Order: sequence, then C-alpha cells, then structure tokens
Amino acid sequence: MGDTLITVIAIALAAVLMFVFPLMTMSDRTDDVSQLATETATTEFVDNVRTTGKLTLDNYSQFVENISSTGNSYDVEMELQVLDENPGKKTTQAEATKIGENVYYTMYTSQILDELDNSASGTKALKEGDIFSVSVKNTNTTLSQQLKNFFYSVTGNDTYTIAAEHAGIVTANGAGN
Amino acid sequence: MKIQSLAVIFIIIILPISMILTAYVQNQVKTLELQVSYDTKLTNATYDALKAFQLNTVNSSTSDLANSKLRDIEASVNTFFNSISSNFNMAGYNQDILKEYVPAIVYTMYDGYYIYSPFTNTLTSDDYVEGVSTYQNGEKISGLKPYVFYSCRYVSGNIDVVITYSLDNYITVEGTIKDGTPVYRSGYLIEPSSITGNYNQETGENSIRYRGVEIETEHLTEYINDSNNQETVYTKINGVKYYQDGNTWYSMLNGQRYNQDQVYKTENDSGVRYYQEAREFTNWIRGESGLGELTTANAVDENGNSISDIFGTSYNIFGTQNNIAIEDPNSNFNQQRLAVIRYSIEKNLSIAIANYNNYSGVTANFQMPELQEHEWEKILNNVSIISFMQGLSIGGKLYNGYSIVTNTKTEEVVNTDSIYLVTSDGQYHRATDNDLINNNNITNAYLNVDFERKSVTAADTGNVRYFFPHKQTGCYSSIVNQSNLNDLDVDEYDGSIYTYMASKGGELAKKYLTALGRERYSMYKTNNNSDELKAEYIQ
Repeated sequence: MGDTLITVIAIALAAVLMFVFPLMTMSDRTDDVSQLATETATTEFVDNVRTTGKLTLDNYSQFVENISSTGNSYDVEMELQVLDENPGKKTTQAEATKIGENVYYTMYTSQILDELDNSASGTKALKEGDIFSVSVKNTNTTLSQQLKNFFYSVTGNDTYTIAAEHAGIVTANGAGN
Repeated sequence: MKIQSLAVIFIIIILPISMILTAYVQNQVKTLELQVSYDTKLTNATYDALKAFQLNTVNSSTSDLANSKLRDIEASVNTFFNSISSNFNMAGYNQDILKEYVPAIVYTMYDGYYIYSPFTNTLTSDDYVEGVSTYQNGEKISGLKPYVFYSCRYVSGNIDVVITYSLDNYITVEGTIKDGTPVYRSGYLIEPSSITGNYNQETGENSIRYRGVEIETEHLTEYINDSNNQETVYTKINGVKYYQDGNTWYSMLNGQRYNQDQVYKTENDSGVRYYQEAREFTNWIRGESGLGELTTANAVDENGNSISDIFGTSYNIFGTQNNIAIEDPNSNFNQQRLAVIRYSIEKNLSIAIANYNNYSGVTANFQMPELQEHEWEKILNNVSIISFMQGLSIGGKLYNGYSIVTNTKTEEVVNTDSIYLVTSDGQYHRATDNDLINNNNITNAYLNVDFERKSVTAADTGNVRYFFPHKQTGCYSSIVNQSNLNDLDVDEYDGSIYTYMASKGGELAKKYLTALGRERYSMYKTNNNSDELKAEYIQ
C-alpha cells in the first residue's frame, strides 16, 4: 500500500520534472528571444523614423510584421509630440529679453494611422524637434505564461511578458523637396 | 534502475544545459541592448553637436567666413565630446577615454568638407624651438584637417580643368579651357533655353522669365533689434545685410551698427541677376569654353590617372538632354555632382579612419562602415555632421557605429526647400503647401533662417535681447504639422521643384523662384569680389 502511494507520487513528480520543467525553461527562452526580436525591431523602427523624419505606412507595416513573426500578438502604441514654436514666438515678440517656451501637442496611434491612411503617398512627414515614441506589449498569453499560471496564477490587465519601448527626438526634416 | 534515479540523472543533465542556455541568451540580449543604447547615445551627441553649430551660426553675422566657421566647428566638436561623455559617464567612460574611440567627425559644407581627426603635427619652420612652442613637432594632436573641396579634374585635349561642385547647381572652374587660355570662373548652371527676356541694370528694364514665370525685382524688409520696432528696408550683398536709415545705410556686426559710405538701391534685383548670369555662365560652359563636351571618361585624379571607372558608363556632363534641364535633380550634371562628392568624402574618410589605427591606443581595427544609399542621399544634399564611433567592447563583440544628422537651418546653402513664403494673414508656409496654389495673398518669400529667433548681446550692458527678423507665425498645416504638402516625387514633377512651380504658376511661382534666385545670389561665396559686387548695388 505504502509503496504504491510512493510510486504514484514519484511518477507524478517525474512527469513534472521531465516534461513540465524543460518545457517551462524552453518557453522562457522563447519569450527571451521574442523579447530580443521585439526590442530590436522597435528600436530600429523608431530610429529610422527619427533619422529620416518620415513615418511611412510601408515602414509601419514592416515593423508590425516583424514583431508578429515572433508568434505573438502585440499592442503597438505610437505617440508623436509635435513641436509648436508659435506660442514661444509670440512670447518673445512681446518681451524681447525672454526666450519663449516651446509647446508640444500630442498625436496618438489612431490619429497617426488615420493620417497615414488618408495621405496619398502613405507618408507622414515629421520635422526636426518633434518627439516620437513607440511602446509594444504582447496581448496574447505566451506558453511560458500559461505554464506559470498553472502553478501560480498571475492576474490583472497588464500581464505582459514581452515589452519594448523606444523614443527620441526627430533629427531630420521629412518634407524636403 | 528505479524511476527516481532516472529522474535525478535527467535533472543532472538538463539543469546545466538550461543554465548555460539562459546565460548565453541573456548575454546576447545585453550585447544587443548595449549596441542599441550606444547607437542612441551617438545620435543624440551628434544632434547636440549640430544644435550647437546651428545656434552659433544663426546668431552670428560672420558665421560664413572661414575663421569664424572654424571656431564654430571647434565649439561644436567640443559639444559632441561633452555630450557623449555625459551620456557615457554612467558606464564609467570619461571624455579623454571616449576620444580614443572616435576616429573621425565629418562636417560637410557648401562646397567641401572638414574632417576632425588626429594628425601628426609637423613643424619645419626655422623659428621653431623645441620645447618652447605650444605644439611640438611630431606631436599627435586632434583637430580639423584642411578643407577638402568637392572637386574633380578633367583632361581632354587642351582642356585641363578642376571643377568644384557644391550642394546646389553652383560650380567653379579653374584651369585651361579649349583654346588654351587659363580661367577661374564660377557660376550657377540653369538650362539657358528656359530663361527668356533681358534685364538692363542701368534703366531697370526687366523682362526676364524662367520657365515662363516672371522674375521680378523686389523691395525687401525685415525687423532688426531696434527701438522703433518698424520693418527696415535692407539689401543683402555677399552674405551681409545692409539696412536703410534715411540716407545712410549700415550693417550690423554682432549687435554693433557700422555705417556705410555708399547709398544702395532700395529695389533689390538679385533674383533677376541670378537667372540672367546663370544663363550667361551656362552658355559659356556649353559654348566658348568647350567644357560642354566633357564626359565622365575625362575624369582623372591629381596625378592624371583615369578614374572614370568609378562613374560607371560614360556620359556627357554639361550637355543638353531631352526633356531634362541641367538644374533638375535627375540630370547628368547632378548625377556627376553627387558621384564626385561621394567619391571625395568616401576616399578621404576611409583614409582618416584607417589611419586612426596609428593614433588610438585601442586595439581595434578601425574601418569605415558602409553607408547606405538613403544616408548618402541625405549627406549629398544637405550640410551635415557624420560621426563615427568604433572599438568599444559591448560583450560579445566590438561596437562599430555611426550617425548622420543634417542641418536644415543654415545660411551655408540655400536648398530648394529652405524658402518659406509669407501670406498676408501673418503666416509663413513651405513652398509645396497646397494652400498656396492659386493664392493671391502671397506677399513675399524669405530664407527659412530669417524666421528663426536671433539673439543680440548689447555691447555696453551685456544684456541679451531676442527678436525675429520676420514676425509671422508658422502655418499649422505646412510648417508645424506638414500634413498638407504636395509630393514632388510623383511622375508629373519627377522630384523637381522647378517643374512643380512652372506648372502651378501664379504668385506662388513668381515669389518662390525670385526668392530662390535672390537668396542664392546674395549668399556669401569665397569667390565673390565683395567690392565689385557692392558697386553694382549702389544707387
């Protein structure tokens, strides 16, 4: 009787050790690789926009395709802070010993995509001084998350394991002729 | 064997593998993260350097003169190293250590470029005293190497000339031409058949048209930092603005007023002269000088050895082409211009970077990275800074990065997109703004730098005052947001703003083309004879 119980426990333990444990480490590595790929793709995308001053539909689709090729689904958030020097200009004109302050107004993902879709060439031109940032989070539950949930459950809305973020000031004027 | 033993053996095998794999992947992630963060730091430092250069040049009235420019570049290089060391300080690198990893910084200018890199100081003069001079003979110092022009030598029969190209359609020819006479001449290239009419300087009679668009003489005004807060009439000659005050004309040099002996014309005809003189110059190139026959096969290096193979299939450089004007971006002339600039930068830069192995204490093999086509396109059409950083250890490999930042707010070059048009509602617009088409409220057009804030330091009190030469605010759809612009890359215009303007016509084309001509004609050029030029503007 006692032997049978130990055997059953041993088999269960062996199954966990020999099957679940390797699967967990491997799926963890897969997430690491996905994380790496996502981070690289995000940085490349943002830096490309920053240095060319152009955000194109082509580049954006390419970027989304790149990160999707990791096998996960993602939530991509773009934010563009457009530099508006006009208010600063008025301050300086009123008071010659003061430097006027620059103001930024912000455009978010849906507005940016709207503009890209409506433009004939699929291009949005940014200018020097604008700030562009992209943040990416996975929305699906990856295998490693599922396995972890099996042992200890993680709840809440922001339960992502793959996330990447990059931002920077635009250094070129995209509307050259 | 018991199943428990099997499990233990399994764990003994799997655990180390999994641990090593984890460490390896983490390491790769770290390397990549470092590389990405170094790229960003380098771009940011280069941008800081450019901002410093921009700030110094926009606020200085002498920024286009060589010694002032050198000073501004040195300051910009300092900013670069300051910025990069404060960015890297977190990682424990300071400025002197980081200098070892920066093989070269390139400043491209209007008709040539500077390379900042270390060199061996050579002092051979008679009055050199060992140990007394600031810099010693044979000492390795970092600094700007002599200016290199974007030039190429062509030899064909009697013709033996060096042609210096620039970022626009301005060229300088020196050497002997077809009939063996030595020349030194410079000017703008514009398709002569597209310019009709004449301009008489004495009578002021003007019928010049470019591609059917009337080019007019203008009345130029802007605000200067004075108490009466009125727009002042000015004229710009060889990069210097002269303002009218009753019957006296004066120039401003860093906040100080300098009265002139001459009285200038209030009606500015630089735009008209640009087209008239460009037609004359282009006709001379194609006719009398014999340079119109030159092909890329005639290109030689300084020793007379042919270098035509770098330009591919041979083509005529200055000749007429079907349906393509010489100033259009896709003309043979522009193709050759870009090829020469690229060849010159590539050659000198790869030498500078390769030589860096002799100066740096770092054991890395410094090599010039290959720049991409779209990056070259940026360099070849704008004043820009290219910085390199190599040899830093980033985990698994050595870092090898570069960064290119272009400067669009500069008086150094008048690009086709650096002309802004002013409308009577108090706004300024980009030239390709849709709102400007068939708009009759366009009042004038000026260089984009003139819409930037300038500062003046009072000589007596040291107080800094800020002002705008033009008080208009930027149009939201073309300056701030740039959402309402026309795309020139469509087939109809083929990337040429000239074709675009000619097809739109009206006030837009008239103001734009006049302003483009005026700003190009009146910018500072080393080849100009300032006194002769000023004499032509005297009333």
